[in-house]
Amino acid sequence: MMNEFKIMTVSATGMSAQRLRLDVISTNIANAETTRTERGEPYRRKIPVFSEYLRRTVDGKVESLGVRVVRIVEDQTPFRLVYDPTHPDANEEGYVQMPNVNVLREMVDLMDAQRAYEANVAAFNVTKSIVNSALQIGRV
Amino acid sequence: MVDRIEGLGPIDPRGYQRKDAKADFSEILKEALEKVNEMQKKAEKMADDFATGKISNIHEVIIEAEKASIALRLTLEVRNRIVEAYREIMRMQL
Repeated sequence: MMNEFKIMTVSATGMSAQRLRLDVISTNIANAETTRTERGEPYRRKIPVFSEYLRRTVDGKVESLGVRVVRIVEDQTPFRLVYDPTHPDANEEGYVQMPNVNVLREMVDLMDAQRAYEANVAAFNVTKSIVNSALQIGRV
Repeated sequence: MVDRIEGLGPIDPRGYQRKDAKADFSEILKEALEKVNEMQKKAEKMADDFATGKISNIHEVIIEAEKASIALRLTLEVRNRIVEAYREIMRMQL
């Protein structure tokens, strides 16, 4: 029984990871036009880094407990240059440094995160239906 | 891996007793019920935490509630089967 509960916890970590990814993507989309940050440069696209969550059991085996987010890194690709002399952050030549966020790409990532979340829910539901079937054993 | 199915050992006429079993059925059932109760309480606490904003992930709450409900159903199922067996024996004509 505990094993089924463990699988459910694994699915839960997957959902949490996708949920965090959704947060990061939303932040990227919200800041797609942000030219000012604390560091004085435009906003940099953020990417969550996932890692397999392993744990050593008491009898020396390694078991997977799902996924976890180790850190959130910044995309180091160059900023977009947009010609807009009226912009308050434009340089002498009239160019503005815009964030390296591609909204189209973020939308695709968003859909991916949604589907991945749904996949985790599906895995959870299958586990639950297996448990339910097991409870039906022997019932005529 | 699927283990080989062991044949049934000779039945001890003095009565079956597991070596590690420390208690009778009522105590095991009581223990199981206590565990289920704990899980229900945990699920309830998580729902409270979600309502007060301590947990932001709704699926954690739902999954904990699901686990509690499955544990309860499993315990009930075991109890029902045992009671059924007991009744079967009580109906036996002597």
